[in-house]
Parts: sequence; C-alpha cells; structure tokens
Amino acid sequence: MPEEKKFPETTPASEEVRVGVYTCHCGGNISHVVRCERVTKSLGKLSNVVVARTDPSFCSDTGQAIIEKDIKELGVNRVVIGACAPSLHEQTFRNTVTRAGLNPYLYHHVGLREQDSWVHGDDKDGATEKAIRLMSAGVAKARLLIPLDPIRLGAEKQALVIGGGVAGLRSALDIARQGIRVTLVEKSPFLGGRMAQLESIFPTDEEPRQLLHELIEQAAAYPNITVLTQAEVTAVSGYVGNFNVRVTQRSRGVSDEMAEALAAACTQETPDEFNYGLTRRKVICRPYEGCYPPLPAVDWEHYDGQPIQLNGKSVVLKDEPQVHELTAGAIVLATGFDPYEPRRGEYGYGEIPEVATLPQLIRALSRVPEGEPLTWNGHPVRDVALIHCVGSRELDGVHEPQADGQVNNYCSRVCCTASLHTAVELRQRFPKLNLYELYQDIRTYGRGHEEIYRQAQAKMVRFLRYHGDERPEVAAAPAGDTHPVLVRVKDTLTYGEEIEIPVDLVVLAVGMMPRQIDSLVNMLKVSRGADRFLLEAHPKLRPVEMAVRGIVLAGTAQGPMNIQESLSAASAAAAKVASLLGQGRVELPPFVARVDESKCNGAGACVEACLEEGAIALQTFQENGREVKRAVVTPANCTGCGACVGVCPNRAIDVQAWTLAQYEAMVDAIAMETPAFSEAEK
Amino acid sequence: MTSNEKGKQPKILILATLAGGYAGADATGQAHTDYPANTYILPVMCPVMFPPEFFVRAFERGIDGIIIMYSGTDSPYKVEADGTAALINRSYALMKTRGIDIRRLRLAAICTVCVKPFLKEVNQMADLLKGIGFVKDEIAAPAAA
Amino acid sequence: MDNLHVDTLVVGGGIAGMQAALDLADQGFQVALVEREPSIGGKMITLSKVFPTLDCCSCITTPKMSAVAHHPNIHLLTYCELQSIEETGSGFHAAIVQKPRYVDARKCTGCRECEYACPVTVPSPFDRGLGAYRAIRVPFSTAVPQKAVLDMENCILCGKCEKECPAGAVDFTQQPEPFEIETTTIIAASGFELTPLNAKKEYGGGKLRNVVDPLMMERFLAPTGPYGRVLRPGDGKEPTSIAYVQCAGSRDQTLGVEYCSRVCCMYAVKQAMLISGALPMADITIYYMDIRTFGKGYEQFYQNAKAMGVEFVRGKVAAIREDGEQNPVIKVELTEEGRIVERTFDLVILSLGMTPAPGSNGTTSTSLSASLGLPLGTDKFIAIPAPNANPCASARPGIFVTGTAMGPMDIVDSIVTASSAASAASAYIREHQKEAVYA
Ligand SMILES: Cc1cc2nc3c(=O)[nH]c(=O)nc-3n(C[C@H](O)[C@H](O)[C@H](O)COP(=O)(O)OP(=O)(O)OC[C@H]3O[C@@H](n4cnc5c(N)ncnc54)[C@H](O)[C@@H]3O)c2cc1C
Ligand SMILES: Cc1cc2nc3c(=O)[nH]c(=O)nc-3n(C[C@H](O)[C@H](O)[C@H](O)COP(=O)(O)OP(=O)(O)OC[C@H]3O[C@@H](n4cnc5c(N)ncnc54)[C@H](O)[C@@H]3O)c2cc1C
Ligand code: SF4
Ligand code: SF4
Repeated sequence: MPEEKKFPETTPASEEVRVGVYTCHCGGNISHVVRCERVTKSLGKLSNVVVARTDPSFCSDTGQAIIEKDIKELGVNRVVIGACAPSLHEQTFRNTVTRAGLNPYLYHHVGLREQDSWVHGDDKDGATEKAIRLMSAGVAKARLLIPLDPIRLGAEKQALVIGGGVAGLRSALDIARQGIRVTLVEKSPFLGGRMAQLESIFPTDEEPRQLLHELIEQAAAYPNITVLTQAEVTAVSGYVGNFNVRVTQRSRGVSDEMAEALAAACTQETPDEFNYGLTRRKVICRPYEGCYPPLPAVDWEHYDGQPIQLNGKSVVLKDEPQVHELTAGAIVLATGFDPYEPRRGEYGYGEIPEVATLPQLIRALSRVPEGEPLTWNGHPVRDVALIHCVGSRELDGVHEPQADGQVNNYCSRVCCTASLHTAVELRQRFPKLNLYELYQDIRTYGRGHEEIYRQAQAKMVRFLRYHGDERPEVAAAPAGDTHPVLVRVKDTLTYGEEIEIPVDLVVLAVGMMPRQIDSLVNMLKVSRGADRFLLEAHPKLRPVEMAVRGIVLAGTAQGPMNIQESLSAASAAAAKVASLLGQGRVELPPFVARVDESKCNGAGACVEACLEEGAIALQTFQENGREVKRAVVTPANCTGCGACVGVCPNRAIDVQAWTLAQYEAMVDAIAMETPAFSEAEK
Repeated sequence: MTSNEKGKQPKILILATLAGGYAGADATGQAHTDYPANTYILPVMCPVMFPPEFFVRAFERGIDGIIIMYSGTDSPYKVEADGTAALINRSYALMKTRGIDIRRLRLAAICTVCVKPFLKEVNQMADLLKGIGFVKDEIAAPAAA
Repeated sequence: MDNLHVDTLVVGGGIAGMQAALDLADQGFQVALVEREPSIGGKMITLSKVFPTLDCCSCITTPKMSAVAHHPNIHLLTYCELQSIEETGSGFHAAIVQKPRYVDARKCTGCRECEYACPVTVPSPFDRGLGAYRAIRVPFSTAVPQKAVLDMENCILCGKCEKECPAGAVDFTQQPEPFEIETTTIIAASGFELTPLNAKKEYGGGKLRNVVDPLMMERFLAPTGPYGRVLRPGDGKEPTSIAYVQCAGSRDQTLGVEYCSRVCCMYAVKQAMLISGALPMADITIYYMDIRTFGKGYEQFYQNAKAMGVEFVRGKVAAIREDGEQNPVIKVELTEEGRIVERTFDLVILSLGMTPAPGSNGTTSTSLSASLGLPLGTDKFIAIPAPNANPCASARPGIFVTGTAMGPMDIVDSIVTASSAASAASAYIREHQKEAVYA
C-alpha cells in the first residue's frame, strides 16, 4: 500500500470559517434509517464546525428559527443542511440564512432523503456512513464558499404569448391588465383555437364563439396587446428578462377592401379543417362569420399559385413574410391540443364511412338545421354508439403503440363529459334516437358535470361498460342488414354478456394530444413529459411554471383540460409573469464563470471552448505599462456550464459556487480513509 | 448485503447533472427503490467543467468508480453532449497512462424520470468493482511489480 | 389590534389561501390573511403524502406556511373571525374579531412549558381525535405561528400553565378584540369539510369502531402521526384486510350531495399504495362505481396501484355491520357478477366527500359565504356565475374565490385557482385604485 498522504485543508485566509451543520429527521423520513445523532456527533468533530444539530424538521418555523439563532448568536457563517432533496427546500433555507443576515450562498444543501434514507432502508449502517461522508463533503465545500450576489438584469416589461386559443387570449389579457406589454403570436390566420369549433359548451350551455368574441373584444381594447396572426416564432435566444425572439409572419394575402370579393371569386378548394375535413372550403376563407380578424385570409399551405379572376382581372396572390424582432421578459406557451386522430381501421375509422370522431359530430350537428332529422352518409340515423377513451387510457402491451412507440396511457378528462353532453343534446334534438354510451368509467368530475351524467341517464341513454383490455369492436354490417355498422362489446353491467348493437353511426370520443411543436420545444429548450405534453416545474407546487426560468404554461399545451381549467391556468400563468416582470428587473442566480485575473495569462482556451454567444471574450488591458490579454465574462450570457473551466491550463477560471477546488475538497472528504464516523463511536 | 457484513466497501462517486442524473436519483428515491449505499452523488451543473486530471486525482485519493450521469442531448447546455463525450475520451487516455482500468469511469445519460437506467448504472458499477477490486490496489500494483 | 389598510383580504389559510396571498405579495401588494384556526395550513398540513408524486406532505406545506409568515407584504392574522363586510365605494370595510388565545402571542415563545404543565388531556383535532393534546398547547409541531392557545371549554382554570410559563404569556383575562380592515378586494379561500362520518346511517360510520374516515387514515400514514403506523382504532390490532368504500357521501341523491368530490378516488388509491408499503401482507380492496383518476399523471398512478396488487372491485356497498370481534362486514352488490355478497374486513375506510366549510366551530352557522353575502351554487359551494369566462370571480365584483371554497378539487387545482384568483384580484386592484398602494 502506498503511504497515506495528508492533504492540507484549504481555508480562506480572511475570516474565520464557522460552520453550522444541521441534520434533519424529516419527521422520521430520514431518521428512521439514518442515525442522525451519530451523523451530528461525527460532524461536530470536524475542524471549523462550531455547532451540529438535529431536529424533527428544520424546514418548519421552529427548525428555521434554530438555524437563525445559531447564525446570530454563535456567529455561524457557513451553513450545511442535510435534509430532503434540494429541489424542495434549498430555496427555503437560503431564505432562512438570508433572514439571519448571512449571504444566501454561504449555505450548502445535502440530500439525505431521496438519495439516502429512502433508498438504503435495509442498510442503516451503510446509510449512516453515507450520510456522514456526504455531510463531511458538504462541510469541505462550505469551507470554500464565498459570499455571492445574484445577477440583476433589467427585465423587458413585455411578454410573448404563443398560441391564440382561449388560454393564450386569457393570459395575454391578464398580463396586459398588469401594465405589461404583450405580443400574442398565433400560427393560424384567426384567434380562438379549438373552442371556436365547439357549439354549446358544458357545463353552462353557452355559445363558445360568443364567449370568445367577448374575450377578444376585451383584449383588443388594450392598447398594449399586439396580435400577430399567421405568425410563428422562428428563433429565440437570450434568457429570462431578455428573450430575443424572431417572429415570422405571413401576409394575409388580400387587402381589407378586396378580401370579401376575392374570397367570393376564389374557386380553389381544400378540405376544411375547421369542420375536421367533413366539408371543403376555399383557399381564401374565414372559419366562421364573426371570427377575428373578421376578414378572410389566404391559406398559403394550400393555395396553388394560380391567378384568381375578379371583375375581368386576374389576380395572383403573393405571400410576403414579415419578420418581427422583439424582446420579451417572459414567454407563455399556450399552443393547445389536437384531438387524437385514430389510426386507419381503429374502430373502423377511415374505412367505414359511418365512423366519425366526436369533434366531427359536433361540427356535423352544427350543420343540421333545427327541426331536420339527422342523417349520415345519406342515411337517416336511428341508432348511435359513442365509444369512450379512444386514444386515451391505453395499456402497455394491450394497445397498439402510436407512431412514436408510446401508448396514450393518460385520461383525456374532457371526453366523458363532452360525449355525455353531446348525447343529451342529441336526445333533445332527435328524440327518437337510440343512444348507446360504451365506457370504462364515467369521469364527470367537475362542477355541474355529474348533473349532465344524470340527465343522460334520465334521458334513457343506454350505458354499456367495457374493461380497458377488452375494448369494443366495430365492423361493417353484412350487406342487406338493417344498419350499416355492428358494434360488439362485452358489457360488464350485464355480467359480461357479449352484446351486438347494430347502429347507423359510431362516434369516437377521442382524447387530446399536444400539438406538433417540436421546433418550439427545441428553440426554447423546454421539457415534455412521458405523455408528450409540456412539463411543469413541479406537478404539485409549481403547476404553471416550467423548469426554464421565464417560461410558463397556459391551457391544454400542458395536458387535457376543459375551458374553465384552461382559463384558470392561463390567469395563473399571467400571475407568474406579473411577479417576474412587474418590478422591471429579474434576478438570476450567480452561477456563472469568473476569471481570476491574477492567474489568467490570456491563453484563450476558454474562449474557444465556450459555445454560448457573447459569454466570454479576450480583452486587452494595461498592466505595469504592458498590454496584456485577459478573459472577460458577460454574466448575462454565461450559462455556467463550465466548458471554460475544464480547459484552462492555469486554473484561472471557475463557475461561482461550483468551483473545481470545492469538488476536490468534497472528493477528499468522501474518499477519506478514516472517516469521522468511526471515531464517533469511541 | 450491508456494509458491516462486507467490511470495507469500494466507493462510487456519481457526478450527476441537476437537470438530469441528480433529478433521476431523486426520482429513484421517490420510488423507494433500494441500491447500494456506497454511492456518493454530487450535483453538477454540467460535467464539462472537469479536466481529466480531476478524475485521476479522485481515483488516486481512493474513489474506486466514477459515473457521470449527464443529460446528453436533452441538456440545457449546448456544450454538454459532445463536450462530455470528448472529455471522457481524453480522460481514458490519461487513465491508461496511470494504469487505471478505464471501466472505472463511465458516462451515462440519465434524465429526470430515469429510475431504471439509474439503478442499472449503479448496479453495473457495483458489480464491476466487486470483480476488479479497489483502485488503490490497482494503482499500487505496477509499482510493486 | 390595529386597524389595517390592504389591497387584498384573503380569508382562509389553507393551501389555496396561502398561495393566493403569496402571489399577490410577490407582486408588491399588501395582503391580510385571516385564518380562524390558531395555525394556517388547512387540511393539507394534516395529510401524509400527496398524490401523485408521493411527496411528504408536511415537507411541501411547511415551507409555504413559513413563506407566508415571513413575507414582508403579508399580515398574518390567525385565530380571527371575519364578522361582516360593507362596501365602501372604493372597496370593502371588513369587521374582524381576534379570538382570545388566553396567551399573549407577542410574549409566547412556543416553548410548550404550559403544555407540559397542563393536567387536562383533550383529543387533538389535528390527529382527528386519534391522538391527544392538552387544554393549552401549540396546536401541532409544525404550526405557524408557533404560539400556544388555550381552549376555555376544556380548561379547569387550575392555573398551572400560568405558573410554568417562563414568558408570563398566559392571560386568562383576554377578551375578543374587534378590529377593522379596509381592503380593495377579497379572496374567499375557506376550503372544505369532510362529509360527516355518520352521514350515511347504513354505513355505520361513527358507530362501528373500525369504520374510519380518510383523514384519520392520513394521520395513521403520516410519519408524524399519532401512532406512527397503521392499526385499528378499535383494538390496536394491525389490520390485514382493508376495504375502501368509494363515493361514500358523494354522488348520492339521498344525502343531497349529488356531485363528485373529485379527490376521493385518488386519495384512496394513494392510501392503498402507502398501506401496501407499510403493511406488505395486507389485502386492500377498493369498492367503486367509477374510478375517476382524471388528472395529469393520475391514470398512470391508478394503473400502478393495480399492478401493485390493490384490488379494484366494482360494487355498490349497501350496508356495513359489525361481527362479534368488531370486524366490519360489508354487504355489497357486485355489479359485474350480479350478486350480493358479504365480506368481513379488519378495517374499512369510507371515502368521504367534500362539503363546504361550515360556520365557526360549529357553534354559529355563519359560514364565510354568508358573511361575504355570496350566493351559493346548487352544490352549496360559493357560486361562480361565469366559469367559462371568469373562473374565479364570485357574484360580487371585487370578491374572488379559490380552492375548495368553490367546489371539490385537489391541491394542484387549488394552487392553480389560487394564482388565477390572485391574477384577477391584482388586475381589479390596478383598475380600481386611483392611487395604487404598490410602487
Ligand atoms: C370534442 C371536444 C369537446 C369539448 N367540449 C368542451 C366543452 O363543452 N366545455 C369545455 O369547457 N371544454 C370543452 N372541450 C375542451 C376545450 O376545447 C379546451 O379546453 C380548450 O379549447 C383549450 O384551449 P387552449 O387555448 O388550451 O388550446 P387551443 O384551443 O388548441 O388553442 C391553441 C392555439 O395555439 C395555436 N398554436 C399552436 N401551435 C402554435 C405555434 N407553434 N405558434 C403559434 N400558435 C400556435 C393554435 O393555432 C391555437 O389557436 C372540448 C374538447 C373536445 C376535444
Ligand atoms: C383524505 C384526503 C386526502 C387527500 N389527499 C390529497 C393528496 O394526496 N393530493 C392532493 O392533491 N389533494 C389531496 N386532498 C385534497 C386536499 O386536501 C385539498 O385539495 C386541499 O387541502 C384544499 O385546500 P383549501 O385551501 O382549498 O382548503 P382547506 O385546506 O380546507 O383550507 C381552508 C382554510 O380556511 C379556513 N377557514 C374556513 N372558513 C373560514 C372563515 N370563515 N374564516 C377564516 N378562515 C376560515 C380553515 O380553517 C382552513 O384553514 C385530500 C383530501 C382528503 C379529504
Ligand atoms: S422538508 Fe426537508 S427539511 Fe423539512 S422536514 Fe422534510 S426533509 Fe426535513
Ligand atoms: S375522460 Fe372519460 S372518455 Fe376521456 S379518457 Fe377519461 S375516462 Fe376515457
């Protein structure tokens, strides 16, 4: 064995380092496995440690008060806390030490719960040793901590809202009401999103386009909201407080004066996505009377470039995209959802003409004049089956995966109430219809939703309940049958009886999928969850913020929601933007590179290694009458990745609060041959 | 097996990114899934900050295995994916000159919900170390020979 | 008490009220938070772990409580009762009463010497009566503020606490102290109450010892709970077969509670998972009509519980009785088989629903909605006249609603509606205050 070397402990010369070490029981969560008293005893013996304590829960008011008191009364000037994951309480304790007058960065958090007690439950000794080593490493780091100030940046009092559905509109309005400018970017030519495609909405039976109209009117009355339709974000750089955004906006293609006339004269047609492909529309069009903006626009995706004949003149439409550069302090993502598109053949979809989705049925119903009978594919409709959970609640190993290999294992939460609401409407309008709802669980959870379920039951809608792994089957009926389609289901309400229902129409209550926003996700570097919806920073505590600072979520881009929920989330997002930008400045953590000028010799390896625009550069200085080059960091552009640190031959650069010397000290503490813990037993 | 039964245990250092491996380790904790306790996880912003000498120094101090759990291409840092891979190659070269088995240093992409991959990495390293033993013996061996 | 002038008065200090207060205070508004209990935290602080993350509940609640207590823009007023409000033209004038703690809160250090001295033991509502505390006490270990409170109803006036208190804080002569708050807006966050355990007579709740409510179960499962483990309240035996009866008190026209309480499916699934962790040998059966795990990540949570072996049985529970050994016997119609069977369990939990927060201490029936003059929905929760336009606005301009005060919801929805109500309130303040208090 080589000789055990002794390594000197590094202590900043200037002030005496007085470390307080706190090992939390976490109400038993930690102390049931880790012997906290032993940890405390061991840690108390380390140099510089002036006090080591345990408490049932340091995050509680009393717990925090203990730490504050030690700082004030014992002169503790470095704090090490072993507790739950830092993601939960690092901030809490930073605030604690700040209140006691200590710089918040003179505190270090060690995760002893998620990374120790909760994963070594059957190895109490091992877990205790681990805690001692990790806490010793914490002390080793704490000795080298220096006070830091957050980086303060001016924040642009302007927000960018991406998506002009009901959620995006509500966010934009609520942000504007706080005196913050807003740019709303909508990809399609018109505002309103999916809500405009609904007819009467649950639970209030209101007219959705009227509600949208009122919302848009309110927003339009705010001079500090700019709406860009047919526009998309094409580049983003910067950071919270100062995102530099490029928005590319297509032309509307027709002038206000000519729009109606050109739309009337236009002959080229394409399937109408507003009606989910059930009808066709012109390539110069508007989705509905009363939409916003009110005039038709050109659908460049489908326009074939041929001239349009108007009053004997032929007009060729031209798209002249406009580029807007803007600075936004915060970004709201409200890109919404797409209804799940069943695979060809899934429940006969795309193969049997009498199989439609619920969104399609809602559009189709809007086209049946009051008092007229319902027909489908040219036949009168007498029997309708609505199948729940299509594209939702799928099971691994039972259902065919989507194109990306995933199954949609989540509940889309809106489809149950939406289909019962539609069933009730069908019954009211066409009293003779026989209606069948094929479901797994009825999830009418919201306020006023259960009432819709009861109405459907009272209105003699027949319910059949299937198991998730035995979904109903849909097949074309043999020629000459009374009905075009047969639905087979094993109904658990009649004790597993195999029931065959001949119907004229099958309606698939399809779930929700996030819209295709890959390029946005890449540009903004935000995360999605396993369900592919945008992922919040914490599912309980920070439900509308994203992990990337300054980016918040509104509406169904985050997951299935109804209108009320989308509105709530949108207003909540606005509250977060207001707290962030209201003061006109943003504070960022000081975790950026810092150059030690006494060691830097201007070699420039750091500049080469850095991939962030404008983060580090060599500048010329005068030193003792000579011109010298030194690396200079621009903190606002530095992400703190440390690419510069690893390549500097002189160890002249470090990321603040994460220095190489600190890591070396931590490694030494972990690797220690005779750790403090064995001494503690003596 | 507890550490007492086994006596002295090899030490595994895990350098885990806050955006990836560290959160993955927390997720493993939330799932209450057990793994060996001789694992010391230190959070890092991005592993490119370490020069190869850092790892060699750690081995020389008695760390028997190092796993870098980074976020790969999902990282918030542009440099992380390629930069870390390059760093590992440079580190392997240096380890070879010092007679350190390069399997002692591993790179793994771990995301915030990667419970299974996290466990797999940890268990693989633990198994490896059972086979190849303490790093101190390895470093001492050529000198003794 | 000094009178206060604020931008928003938040009534109720559960998670919803706390979050709304924090969001407004972070924007620079002055907020008064009035809570009628001696501590903030609401129901959430009593829970064990939260679905779907299984985070330790106290770990995520205490920091919020602490943040509220320390925020420079929040005036925290606990053990206070809102009496009435009056419109002033520029907002509201609220009459509040500080109830007597019989302890001078300015002097009390929370050392608990009084508690150790007190000879009277009282069942602790924090532990849902499972544990006990004293007639004078700090309400629970993580209470905010950490100040003792004496309940006169149980006090025998022996004076021991007064003698032992090192701060001289005990004061038997305290009287209710009225004071006033001027405010521009009000946020109602008065929360919910569990359906009474005995609401449905057929289920024997309240009579049968081993038929318990789900908040008791939360206390059994909490690391800080009264016993630190799961056992039968009847005889302290460790249960090996446990049943949950879903929709006990919700979706039930005979009780006049026609709505779904939204959280009971998820808390039953959660508790079942936690129990299987604590008692790996226990059989857990959940009797349900529909499993409503609709939230983000919730369906996956439910599927995990199934995979862990929790049994989900579709059935309508008709009645519960007790056998000779205090074991509850469930009579259930198995709707998938068309049979009615009886099954004996060691412990039954009624998955009770949510009803609106009642009046103060059950004595008077002035609930918050009454003091604020707010109309109710058919479900008796505070009405939201335009849910699809202004999801947090009550029928009275300037008064907003959040959390379970507007109907059953879980923590994440309470937090979202809290931020949403804060957003609506702050916009209202900016539009209605000529000279805003904020800079
Ligand atoms: C069949 C069905 C029936 C329903 N019925 C009801 C009901 O009765 N009551 C109820 O409360 N809810 C109902 N809902 C739910 C309701 O439709 C949604 O809650 C609501 O529309 C969600 O709004 P949103 O703003 O989040 O998303 P969306 O309406 O999808 O809006 C998103 C907007 O963002 C735009 N966008 C997308 N990507 C980009 C990009 N990259 N750049 C710029 N813009 C972009 C889109 O063009 C769109 O305008 C129903 C849903 C379905 C499927
Ligand atoms: C058994 C059970 C388990 C649960 N588990 C979970 C879970 O795991 N995850 C989850 O997300 N949700 C869970 N929930 C739901 C969760 O408890 C609620 O969503 C949440 O607590 C609601 O918070 P709140 O602030 O709206 O109401 P409350 O917590 O009820 O708070 C209301 C506050 O207002 C005060 N108050 C009332 N009236 C007045 C008045 N007139 N004046 C002054 N103050 C007043 C009350 O004292 C109280 O402090 C569970 C619920 C139950 C019953
Ligand atoms: S939250 Fe963290 S610090 Fe507080 S009790 Fe739990 S582990 Fe301890
Ligand atoms: S809301 Fe109903 S139909 Fe939709 S996925 Fe959930 S259970 Fe299925």
